[in-house]
Amino acid sequence: MRVSSARAPWLFAGPLIAIMALGFVWPLLQALTNSLHPNTPQGIDAAQWTLGNYERLADPFYGGILLRTLRISIAVTAITGVLAYPVALFLSRLSPRAQSLLILAYVSPWLVNTVVKALGWTLLLRTNGVVNTILSQLDIVSAPLKLMINETGVIIALIPGHFMFVLLPLWAAVSSLDPALGWAAGTLGARPSAVFWRVILPITLPAFVAGLVINFIMNMTAFAIPMFLGGQRNLVASMLAYQVNLISLDWPLGGALAVTLLALTLVLVWAGQRAATLLAAGRGLRP
Amino acid sequence: MIRAINFMMLVVVLAPVVVVMWMSLTPTSMFVLPFTQFSLRWYREALSYPGFVDAFVLSAELALLAALITLVLCFLAVYGIARYRPAGAAALRGFFTAPILVSAVVFGIAMLQFVNRIGIYNQFVGLLLAHVVLVVPFAIRSLEATVRAVPEELEWAAMILGRSQLSTILRVTLPLCARGLVTAFLFCFLLSFSEVTTTIFMTGPGLQTLPVRIYTYMSDRIDPTVAAVSALVVLVSIVVLVLLNLLGGLRRLTSQ
Repeated sequence: MRVSSARAPWLFAGPLIAIMALGFVWPLLQALTNSLHPNTPQGIDAAQWTLGNYERLADPFYGGILLRTLRISIAVTAITGVLAYPVALFLSRLSPRAQSLLILAYVSPWLVNTVVKALGWTLLLRTNGVVNTILSQLDIVSAPLKLMINETGVIIALIPGHFMFVLLPLWAAVSSLDPALGWAAGTLGARPSAVFWRVILPITLPAFVAGLVINFIMNMTAFAIPMFLGGQRNLVASMLAYQVNLISLDWPLGGALAVTLLALTLVLVWAGQRAATLLAAGRGLRP
Repeated sequence: MIRAINFMMLVVVLAPVVVVMWMSLTPTSMFVLPFTQFSLRWYREALSYPGFVDAFVLSAELALLAALITLVLCFLAVYGIARYRPAGAAALRGFFTAPILVSAVVFGIAMLQFVNRIGIYNQFVGLLLAHVVLVVPFAIRSLEATVRAVPEELEWAAMILGRSQLSTILRVTLPLCARGLVTAFLFCFLLSFSEVTTTIFMTGPGLQTLPVRIYTYMSDRIDPTVAAVSALVVLVSIVVLVLLNLLGGLRRLTSQ
């Protein structure tokens, strides 16, 4: 006999709902409530309520860190955006077998832990690293280039790490295009560049924008790569979060930081989806 | 041009992993070019370092348990939603996949404050809970397709012929889902095994997973030993990835 259908779905989903309430909702609410209490030398003062922790985040020191995080993230997302279309178009023209092999290669950084990637990039970019050794042996540079412990290093290492978040949706959108669209535009006299700008780009734009938003969020909250490639002199938001929560043990401030980052993420996701919907709706009106 | 960009991107994507493998095989502790000799000495060194072995065992246990628990919970939930289509189905699905929207740093902070609040800081159960929550969204997405692909008529037939619902799930639904379940399991295992950021925020020195152990070691010094350990971690990832690809699950999991 089947379990009666009114209670059944809740019976089956119940255990997962309970685990998610305990391990997801409660922790986030905990950080939120902690962020609304003042921090004292004796610990969190749960009797008092305040917005002071959020006001402390407006301090120029923290503002500078947020600005650097934004600068790095925008640079990475912009470069990724420029590179994603050529790669997606190239992939979509290959045989299915070659496509799945290359997709596997592009996805692999996501499934290798970021500490290992940070180690790899350190070995590549440090003063006596692989890149500088090759450049000096080929007599291209006389003194080693400073490729890490600055924002350049962080940007270089983040691009491939989060590339797939734009590539995958874009590749899916490009491969599902009807090839007849390109031929039709061609027979009507459009040059290849016009086919791209007037046909392919407008149709795939929603998927592209959605991918860019995810990519940007991943850049904003990357941890291990800025830590090793940027160093303490180039603090970003996630490193600040680490210091505040695990070194100064100022959890109210740490909670405020978490809530702010989360709010920023959700607004961006919302805006990205909104933009994608508008673009999808608007493309029918294009001349 | 388009081919050159693609080639360059592939090099950049694969370079860090290749260079770690390469460094782990150099005979000397200095990194020299060109590279002519191989040596496994750093692997011996890494395996005789107790910190890494303990951390590997912890990581493997954690990933296995997290993947197993997630699979059971998510299979039940997906089955309930797919077969009964309750009114709140879309909301439930949104709730289960919500952890994707919360970045690892934010979740790490929240978890740190939570485990301290309820008094399980630095305990295995806290880590397990965090890893389960982190992989639930991916398991839900992958199992949805699997459960939907099982014709409901087969379950009806089994029940009309007198099987209980429990026995139908165990003897009809689960065997038909086997492939999808294995794929989801491998994927969850890999995600948990390579999770760094959230784990760093919520563990103390006593309870370090392998990626966190590598992180602390690297903050101190960078040598071929840490490259050898990292190469072993990458090897685990590659084996699981190849299995996933053979099962045909990778494309489906990542294209969503």
